[in-house]
Amino acid sequence: MHFGGRSMDTPVKRPAAERRRPTIGDGVLALLVILCAAALFFGLRPASGNLLTARIVLDGVLVAEYDLNALTSPVELAVDGGAYPMVIQAEPGRIRVLESGCPSQDCVHTGWADRAGDQIICLPNRLVISLSGAEAQTDFDAVTG
Amino acid sequence: MKRLFPLFLALSLSLSACGAPTVGDVGASEQFFAMDTIMTVNVLDENGEAAVQAARAEIDRLEQMLSRTREDSVIALLNTHAGDGSALAVEPELGALLRFAQSVSQDLPGCFDITIAPVMDAWGFTREERHVPDPDTLADTLALVDWRALTVAEDDASARLEEPGMAVDLGAVAKGFAAQRAADAIRAAGGTSALLDLGGNITVLGSKPDGADWRVAVKDPQDTERQLGVVSLRDKTLSTSGGYERYFEANGITYHHILDPETGYPADSGLLSVTVVSSDPLLADALSTALFVAGRQAALDYWRSRDDFELILCGSDGVVTVTEGLTFAFRGEEHGYTCETARR
Repeated sequence: MHFGGRSMDTPVKRPAAERRRPTIGDGVLALLVILCAAALFFGLRPASGNLLTARIVLDGVLVAEYDLNALTSPVELAVDGGAYPMVIQAEPGRIRVLESGCPSQDCVHTGWADRAGDQIICLPNRLVISLSGAEAQTDFDAVTG
Repeated sequence: MKRLFPLFLALSLSLSACGAPTVGDVGASEQFFAMDTIMTVNVLDENGEAAVQAARAEIDRLEQMLSRTREDSVIALLNTHAGDGSALAVEPELGALLRFAQSVSQDLPGCFDITIAPVMDAWGFTREERHVPDPDTLADTLALVDWRALTVAEDDASARLEEPGMAVDLGAVAKGFAAQRAADAIRAAGGTSALLDLGGNITVLGSKPDGADWRVAVKDPQDTERQLGVVSLRDKTLSTSGGYERYFEANGITYHHILDPETGYPADSGLLSVTVVSSDPLLADALSTALFVAGRQAALDYWRSRDDFELILCGSDGVVTVTEGLTFAFRGEEHGYTCETARR
């Protein structure tokens, strides 16, 4: 009975991996490389997933920063360094200007900001609240209006 | 050692993937307050930092010249000397800007007038103390609005307001002028791919770094979280005027900041917003205000008389009119809008 096309006398080239068995050291090194790659991937990738950071900047100076999705209860921040006193309220997943002494009240009327890319601006106070984190779900580069 | 090679290769690839160049690696961006709004300048090539700083310096210089609320600005001086017979020496670039504004007033009678400042003051839009003026005050201030009583010398080197109490406000052209000059500064600094957002007035230079067109969304005037659609373009400015930008409510009525120079009241032409797209940032800025006051039919008639701008008109009737020269992806259908294309 013929079981194959190659005679028993034909020299067989064996795969390299079979020429020498992997050692424990190889396994440890492989594991190390995989762990390094994973650490780099998660450490250096753009912010995504659950992270939603609110940065509050008054006339070019950062006054506070919140990870909105890490909040478990509402937080209020009084900002008195501008031309008009104001109170900013952050709660899990969103932020707004609760009160402002500015005459136009445009910042209060803006309401809640809850998406990466959102901004709340108080022109009289020169204050900007910017949200960043999860990739903004937009397919455009700017907005006119 | 040979058998370790694939492992080192894997590590190298991991590192190179994490450090892959992005737009941010070669560009620069700055956000700042100027001209009573917030501005962002992005330059996305290797000359980014120098180009952004050149643009900002130019905008700061122009604000110093054009803002009438700065006591030492040339425009504040022009207003202070209104009616005293003296001609104020101005930079020729400012003289040309004043003359340009007058040309828009001449082309669109009753729709645009930079001498509307006294009426804006009466409404409190200048000092952010917004209120409805009493009829006598409104009539008195409206009598001071007349672009023909602004005299600009033939050589653009001097200007004068003929009547006491007159005043110029360049809010309808300053951002466009700044965009024009800032774009020039970016090009002079070697910038080739840039996006300027001067308080919602968007100017794009060149294409995106990957060679694609820029994509600029147009806000839905009835819900600024939504978009009417997206325009694809390069080397253009989009300027939008709408009553939703600055307004106040009194006795249940909403009053916005775009005033009709004929009546002194907020313009009520049936348009909720006007977006003008042009290669000329100054023209786009001025026309967005003028055509908001003019209304849909007059705006389209004017568009048909020229070939240097395109329009997106959003009416209170729910109709979005887009002129045929634009590549516009309409998105307002699900929010109750219909879209029509205007042809020449």
